[in-house]
Amino acid sequence: MVCFCSQLNRPGQRHWSIIFSTASRERLKKKKMPFISKIKRQTDYNLFPSSTPIVIDNGASYFRIGWAGETEPRVIFRNIVQRPRHKTTGETVSIVGDHDPALLKYFDCTRSGPRSAFDNDVVYQFEIMEYILDFAFDRLGANGSGIDHPVLITECVCNPVHSRSKMAELLFETYGVPSVAFGVDTAFSYKYNQQHGICGQDGLAICPGFSTTHVIPFVGGEPVYRGSCRTNIGGYHVTDYLKQLLSLKYPHHMARLTWEKVEDLKMEHCYIAPDYFSEARLFQKGTKEAEDKTRCWQLPWVPPPTEEPPSEEEIARKAAIKERQGQRLREMAEAKRSSRINELENELHGLGFLLRQLEQVEANDIPSFLSATGYVSKQEIESSLAKVTQSLRKAKGEPKSEQAEVEEKTEASMNEKYPLIHIPDNMLTSEQVLNPKEPKLKKKKKKCIIIAIVIKLLLAMVSIQLKEKRRQIFLKTTTEGRQRAKQKRVEEGLERERKNQEDEERRLENPELYAEQMRAKYKELSERIDQRKRLKTNGSHTNGNNTSGGVGRGERLNAAQRERMRLLTTAAFDRGKGEDTFGAKDEDWQLYKLMSRDNDDDDEGAEADEAELARVSSRLQEIDPKFVPKQELVPPQSAAEAPRLRPLTKEDFQIVLGVERFRCPEILYHPNLVGIDQVGLDEMTGVSIRRLPSKDEDLEQRLTSSIFMTGGCCLFPGMSQRLEAGIRMIRPCGAPINVVRALDPVLDAWRGASLYAAKLQFTEQTFTRMDYYEKGEDWLRRYQLRYTL
Amino acid sequence: MEAEVIEAELVLPTYLSFKRVQMYEKYPKGQSRGRHWKHLKQILQAENYQNYPPDEPNYVNIESPPSMHPCKRLCDMTGYEAPYYDPRTNLRYANAEVFKLVRSLPSEYVQRYLALRNAAVVLK
Repeated sequence: MVCFCSQLNRPGQRHWSIIFSTASRERLKKKKMPFISKIKRQTDYNLFPSSTPIVIDNGASYFRIGWAGETEPRVIFRNIVQRPRHKTTGETVSIVGDHDPALLKYFDCTRSGPRSAFDNDVVYQFEIMEYILDFAFDRLGANGSGIDHPVLITECVCNPVHSRSKMAELLFETYGVPSVAFGVDTAFSYKYNQQHGICGQDGLAICPGFSTTHVIPFVGGEPVYRGSCRTNIGGYHVTDYLKQLLSLKYPHHMARLTWEKVEDLKMEHCYIAPDYFSEARLFQKGTKEAEDKTRCWQLPWVPPPTEEPPSEEEIARKAAIKERQGQRLREMAEAKRSSRINELENELHGLGFLLRQLEQVEANDIPSFLSATGYVSKQEIESSLAKVTQSLRKAKGEPKSEQAEVEEKTEASMNEKYPLIHIPDNMLTSEQVLNPKEPKLKKKKKKCIIIAIVIKLLLAMVSIQLKEKRRQIFLKTTTEGRQRAKQKRVEEGLERERKNQEDEERRLENPELYAEQMRAKYKELSERIDQRKRLKTNGSHTNGNNTSGGVGRGERLNAAQRERMRLLTTAAFDRGKGEDTFGAKDEDWQLYKLMSRDNDDDDEGAEADEAELARVSSRLQEIDPKFVPKQELVPPQSAAEAPRLRPLTKEDFQIVLGVERFRCPEILYHPNLVGIDQVGLDEMTGVSIRRLPSKDEDLEQRLTSSIFMTGGCCLFPGMSQRLEAGIRMIRPCGAPINVVRALDPVLDAWRGASLYAAKLQFTEQTFTRMDYYEKGEDWLRRYQLRYTL
Repeated sequence: MEAEVIEAELVLPTYLSFKRVQMYEKYPKGQSRGRHWKHLKQILQAENYQNYPPDEPNYVNIESPPSMHPCKRLCDMTGYEAPYYDPRTNLRYANAEVFKLVRSLPSEYVQRYLALRNAAVVLK
C-alpha cells in the first residue's frame, strides 16, 4: 500500500552499497569448514525503517534471514524443528535449529526426531514452517505487533501453486507482512556473480543442493525454466549413503555414526575422483598412493589395564593364605570323618546287640520282638549291619580293593537273591512266591476241598510269580548292564593310555614330523568345522530372522533339508490332475519315512569333529610353543559384536575411510548407484541444452563457456575438473567449456537476494495482500520474478 | 526449566508479540495436527498440470530423464569395479575374497546392502 519511492533517497542507503563492494573480495578464500549456526538475538530491529525488506533464503538445509542490502545474513540455522518433552515438567516444547547437544539432556528426545518442513525441496508442512519463521523473526529481534517489512523469500524452481499460496497466506495472515516476493535461489546466486564478473549474461547455472540438483540456462540474464532440469539427488543422499556404508562395515560402532557426525566426515574427507574406476583400482592394488589417501578416524578408546605379573610378595602372600585355607578345610574334614566313624560304630554295636538278643529270644516271639525294634525280619537286620560295616570301612579309608571284594560278595548274594530266575516258569510253586527268600515252610496236609481251593490259589499265584520273575530278570539285567558299562569304561581308559604312550613314543623319535602331522590334521579339522558352521549359521540366521523376506532359499542349505523339501513338493504337485489327493492312500504317508529327521546326521559328525579338534589343539599347544589356536574367524562385516576372543586393540576402534571417500560423492554423477533412475550432473547439462526452445549453436557455445556452479555440494574437491571432463564428453569437439564456481557457494544465494531487494525497483516485483486475494490463484501461478532490474 | 536452558533461549516461546494468531490458537491442543498436510505427491496431483499447455515449465516436467550412459557396476561391499554378481543374493562382488564375505553375510546385511542400491526385496 505504501509507496516506497519517497523513502528511498535517504542517505543511509548509499552507506550499504559501500560496505558491499569492499567486503566482496574476501570471499575468494575457500571455506571448507562445516557451517556453524548463528542464532544470537539481534537488537537493532527497530533501527530499520518499514521499507527495508527482510530477505529470507529458505533452503532445505539451512535457513538464512537478514536485512536487504547487507552482505551477511543475520541469523543462520538448520532448517529443522524438534518437539521433545521436558523431562521434569512434562510439557512439550519446540526447539528450532541445531543446538548444543549438552543442553538437550534435559529433554526426552526419544520420540521427537528432527523434522523438516520440506518434502524434496517443496515446503509442505506449514506448521513446522511457522515454528521456523517464529524463531527466525524472534531472533532477528522482531517486536511490536506484526512484521512491518516487505519480505523476499526463496523457493524451489517451478514451485507448485499450492505451496506458494500457503506460504503467502502464512506470511500475510499470521505475520502481517505488507508485501511478499518469491524468487529462485540459484537465480539470485547467478545474478550476484554476474555482477562480479564471474559468469556472463548467458550461461548455465548448476546447483547441487541438499535434496535436489538443478541446471538452469540463463539467456539474456533471465532464467529460462523451460530448459531447466532437476534430479532428485543432493547432499542429503551423499551423507545418507556414507552413513549406511559405514554402519554396514562397522556395525559395532553404529551408535557413534550419527547423521551430524557423518555429515562432518563428509565435508572434511570426501572428494570427487577424476575417474572413478582408475581410482578404485589404486585402492584395490593397495598402492602407496591409496595408503596416503586413506583416512582413519580413531574413536576414543581406553586400553584395558594391563595386569602386572604378581610380584614375589604377592605370590608368597597368596600361597600362605591358600595354605591356611587348605589346612582349615582339612581339619574340618577330619573332624567330620571322626564323628561319622563314631556314629557308625555306635550303630554297629546296636545292631550287633539286637542280633544277639534275637538269637536268645524264642522263635514264637520273633515277630513281636522285631516290631518293637522297627525291623521287619532278621535278614533286614543282617543286611543293614553289612551296610554299616561297609561304610565304616570306607570311612576309615581302607583301600578300594576291598570294595571289589564287597562287590563280589554282593554278586554272590545276588545269585541268592534271584533264585527264581533260574527256575523255569512252570516249576514255580506258590511257596516260593509267598516267601521268595526263606526256605520252605512246613505245611500240613489238608482234605480234598481244601486242595481244590489251594489249586485255585495256585493259579492266581502263578501269575504273581511271573510278575515277580520278570521283576527279578529286569533287576538282574540292569545291574549286569551297569557292570558291563563300568568294564567298558575301564577298557577305554586303558586303550587311551596305550594310545597316548604310542603317541609319546612317536613324538620322541621324530618330533618334526609329528608336529607337521598334527598341524595338518588340525587345519583340516578346523576347515571342516568352519564350513559346517558357516552352513549352519547361514541357515540358522535366516531361520531366526523374520525380516529377511522372500523365499527361504537360504534356510534349506542342508542336504537333508533340501531332500525333504524336494520330496514334499513332488508329493504336493505330482498328484492328481488339479486336485490334491495326497493322503487318500495309506502308502502316501510312507513318504515321511524317507525323509531323515532334521539335523541329526550333522550334529553327530560335528560333535566328533569338534572333540577331535580340541584334542589335537591341546596336543599341539603342549608340544609346539609357536602354535596359536586359530580363533573363530568371523568376517568383520557379519560380526554383530567385535571379536571378543582376542583382547580388543586400538585398531578395533578405528573407522577407516578409504574407497568411501570418493564413492559417496560419485552418486551425484551416477544416481543409479543409489537406485535413483535419473541423469547425473554431467548429463544434465546436455539435457538442459537440448530442452532449450531455440536451437542456436552460437547460444549453446555461449552457454557452455560460462558454466556456473553454486550450492553447498559443489564444495567437494575435484568437482570442477570432473564436471568439465563430463561435459566435454557430450558436447561437440572443440566447443569452449569453462566451468566456474561461485565466490561463496553457500551464502551467495542470500547475498544475491539481498542485493536484489535493496534495489529501487524491487517493490514493483512484490505483491501485496490485496493482490493475493483479488487476483486469485491463477495469477499467482503465473507470477515470476524478473531478475534483471 | 533449568537455568541454563532459559539462558540459552533454547525453547521457542509460546507467545510472540508480532504474530496476529498465536500457535496455540491456531493448533489447539488435543487435535491431531500433522495429518492434514498434503505430501508432495498429493500436491502435484492436485495441481492438475495436464490442464495447462505441456511446454510450460512446471514442477513435474522439468524433472530429468533416465540416464543414457551404461550403468556403473560397483561392488556392493568394497566399492571396486565388479563385473560379477551372486545369483543367490543378487549382490555384486569384485573378486573371490569378496565373494567369500558375500556368501557368509547374514540375510539382514544382504538386504541392507541391496537397499543401498534400491534393489532390496520389499514385501508389500
